[in-house]
Amino acid sequence: MPKDSIQPAVGPDTTALRLPRKRMSKWHLYSRRFRRNRPAVAGLVIFAVLVLFALIAPLIARFDHTELDFLSLGEPPNGDHWFGTTSAGNDTFAQVSIGLQRSLMIALAVSVGTTAISAVVGTAAAYFGGMFERFTLLLIHFLMVVPTFLLLAMFSNDSGGDWRTISLIMILIGWFFPARVIWTMALSLREREYVHAARYMGVPGMKIVLRHMLPNIGSLLVINFTLGVVAAVMIETGLSFLGFGVKIPDVSLGSLIGSGANTITSAPWLFYFPAAALTLLTVSMALIADGLRDALDPTSAAGGRA
Amino acid sequence: MTNPLLSVRDLRVSFASETGTVDAVRGISFDLEAGRTLGIVGESGSGKSVTSLAIMGLLDENVRISGSIIFDGQELLGKSDKQLSAIRGNGLVMIFQDPLSSLTPVFSIGAQLIEALTVHRALSKREAWARAVQLLETVGIPDPEQRMKSFPHEFSGGMRQRVVIAIAMANKPKLIIADEPTTALDVTIQAQILDLISKAQAETGAAVIMITHDMGVVAKTADDVLVMYAGKPVEKAPVHELFHRTRMPYSIGLLGAIPRVDKAEKQPLVPIKGNPPLLINLPNACPFASRCPIAIEACHTSEPDLVDVGNGSVGEHQAACIRSHEITDGGLIDGRPVFPLPPIPESALAAIPREDRPTTLEVRNLLRRSLS
Amino acid sequence: MIVVATNLTYFLAWGFLDPRNNYVGRRPPLSEAQIVQLLQPRNLSDTVPLFERWWNWLSGIVFRWDWGVSPVGQSVNEQVAYRMWVSAELVLGATIITTILGIALGVYTASRQYKLADRIGQATSIITMNINIVVAALGIVLLAISFNKMVGTTVFFVTGSASPNVTGFFPIIIDALQHLILPTVALVIIGYAGTHFLQRSLLLDNINADYVRTARAKGLTKAQAIRKHALRTSLIPVATQVAFTIPTVFMGAILTESIFGWNGMGRYFLETISKNDIHGTVAIAAFGAVLTAIGALLADIAVVVLDPRVRVS
Repeated sequence: MPKDSIQPAVGPDTTALRLPRKRMSKWHLYSRRFRRNRPAVAGLVIFAVLVLFALIAPLIARFDHTELDFLSLGEPPNGDHWFGTTSAGNDTFAQVSIGLQRSLMIALAVSVGTTAISAVVGTAAAYFGGMFERFTLLLIHFLMVVPTFLLLAMFSNDSGGDWRTISLIMILIGWFFPARVIWTMALSLREREYVHAARYMGVPGMKIVLRHMLPNIGSLLVINFTLGVVAAVMIETGLSFLGFGVKIPDVSLGSLIGSGANTITSAPWLFYFPAAALTLLTVSMALIADGLRDALDPTSAAGGRA
Repeated sequence: MTNPLLSVRDLRVSFASETGTVDAVRGISFDLEAGRTLGIVGESGSGKSVTSLAIMGLLDENVRISGSIIFDGQELLGKSDKQLSAIRGNGLVMIFQDPLSSLTPVFSIGAQLIEALTVHRALSKREAWARAVQLLETVGIPDPEQRMKSFPHEFSGGMRQRVVIAIAMANKPKLIIADEPTTALDVTIQAQILDLISKAQAETGAAVIMITHDMGVVAKTADDVLVMYAGKPVEKAPVHELFHRTRMPYSIGLLGAIPRVDKAEKQPLVPIKGNPPLLINLPNACPFASRCPIAIEACHTSEPDLVDVGNGSVGEHQAACIRSHEITDGGLIDGRPVFPLPPIPESALAAIPREDRPTTLEVRNLLRRSLS
Repeated sequence: MIVVATNLTYFLAWGFLDPRNNYVGRRPPLSEAQIVQLLQPRNLSDTVPLFERWWNWLSGIVFRWDWGVSPVGQSVNEQVAYRMWVSAELVLGATIITTILGIALGVYTASRQYKLADRIGQATSIITMNINIVVAALGIVLLAISFNKMVGTTVFFVTGSASPNVTGFFPIIIDALQHLILPTVALVIIGYAGTHFLQRSLLLDNINADYVRTARAKGLTKAQAIRKHALRTSLIPVATQVAFTIPTVFMGAILTESIFGWNGMGRYFLETISKNDIHGTVAIAAFGAVLTAIGALLADIAVVVLDPRVRVS
């Protein structure tokens, strides 16, 4: 079929009619698709509220999270202690807000780290191929065989409970799985014309990886990042719950739930509040990831729905 | 005229999309008698496949369909999936475009063929097997007994299309809809498949709807032709009438866009410029006007209806063009072709003999070996 | 790969765990020589060069299938052999239920895409999938306790895998179920959604495939075509995924086991790390690696069984 775009002299140009009335910018389209996804918007709102809570609550809390109120030990929620107190007299409200802050910081740091490393390593392996690719894949496969939770537990148990060390360890052990996913995606990019074109024009390899290949898997990276946050929260909580992660005096949602679990029948509020914060955090992030996927991926199932 | 086997009246199909409601089919009517072949021709997106899927009842549930489809005395529109499934594969069958993907990859050929038989009638295992082998033999699969146990990926495209045809023939259908049955195949296989469809038609006495964008296929198989453009029929005529007394510029363009080997001098192919319109919020104008070389002011103010042209009986030759009465046989208007022949670009190099031209690329003894 | 991974874990474990710590805080304090005396026969003393320790350990496994002892002298072989089945009881049941539930829901919701049932199913799954296993398990414990209180008798046990002093065939089975039900429900709640989403999206990809249309054109109803043709094709990747998640589920059972007080591999994992049991830790790593290998093998078998395209080549 001839695909000539030259219009005949007669008659008005109908190409204008065939396009949507005004051309939406990419971002406009993405945000419109995202806003149409109500659960995703709800997720975003919940997440924003949680972030605000983590930032503001420590400022308005009447007690410091390490402070012990010896006059109220193990009290259920009341006017003074909005979320109750622990048996040692810690204010649960302050603890939950700080714990949420800590969990959020770890999760964001870990997800930024793993996404960045996995993106660069995955695409570079796909682009350069050869020894570099083989070595990377070998490392990835090795890390896939070893139970990583065991390594995590072993390393972070040794770290003394500092959240920065824990984040670093989680990044070092967590990058390989997304890297493999990205590698598979990038393999198909390697054979694209614009990558060939750039290579034949003499663009250096690393620049092709960073400037030509990475932007083209941008949407995958954004989704990976949001899902990475969920995964990081889950793993951090697991570690801290078992006592391998964040340690006293520092608190995270995991360690709070861990100590709440011991008194689950006598003082269930110690479990309820951090558990609620944790569940809201992971669910909201998952909803956002879902919305992003639909918004960024035109081939997704929801893409064709008006 | 006897009662037609299939009678379609004012069929309209529309569905929602991101940018608005798409009117994929905008009113199509035709009758088809047993044993005859109707060719439906058009570019991709002209609504021909949607029409066939609408007849089969295989469109998505969120698609809006209106009009009437009467097959063998029954109204098909409004029937439930369950009611339709008794008709589909039995009296009404379809052959799809891509034989590579139209067979389930995880089931053997035999199982899929037997399924087509047993879903409509109670057969013993042995009867079904024997009938399936016989069908494979009819469509020209060598070693049918062995091939029953093969899986689709072990077959070539042409062989798979034969299996698809065997499935279609399984229950002696009254109407076979073939949706671009040869498009995905090699040229050499195409003719064989078309012959096979004719054979199936002869054997079962079925009517055929041949959907294609290939005028050559139409010429070979069809009795009547329906040319579709932008979801509407724009010309309808018996095949000879259409080829010799074309009355609609779009049909003329379609015929002009086929290479002719029967003409001695080197004649350029005549392209139809531009692309078909998107079927969203179409204005009240001839949808072809912007691509039509003979469009006039009036073409942009209202959409022409399908009206009788020529001198045959009522409804025999119809076209939707307000200038169709001006067009004469051979695609001429006022003695000149509707589609002006583009000049053959004369290359500056044509004057220089080949051996005197400079070498652009020289290849000598090029070999390629893979290392592993 | 398993061998290399296991050996590497051995060295890593020596880098992070110190068996000495188990004796440092003892009262009366043990002298340096006493500690060495205790550890040396167990091949855990750092007075022996690392390479020699490694060789002793490795040759023990290779020649006698002896995975060593813990710092207090427990045999790793015995521990693993016993705990493995405790975990398996939990994990196998949970995996089977998770898979069946996930596939069933996937088929149900995919055939009703964008209808109310689909939306509710999707919303529930996205929430349950993202509930932390800790929260889910503890929530179930709370519910079970209040249920027990309401009924006035212990229907569900919230700790342990079996009660002592139960005899007779049926009492043992009933007792086991009473213990099994809560941790299994916890694992299923967080696990089924993954299969549900995968099955749903795969099925949706396949529902519009040409061969499903062919099947409908043959005369199958939409539901029949989906159940027979689309489901069978889309089961292949689902089976692969389920096989690959077996090791993950085992590790996910770490938290469940510690909450419900099951003496399985998960509990063992915690104990070995907190008690600086190097041999135990390495054995768990090896166990995990073997599970991964088994998972990969099962995935391959599943593909071969389900996909004729692979069967031939």
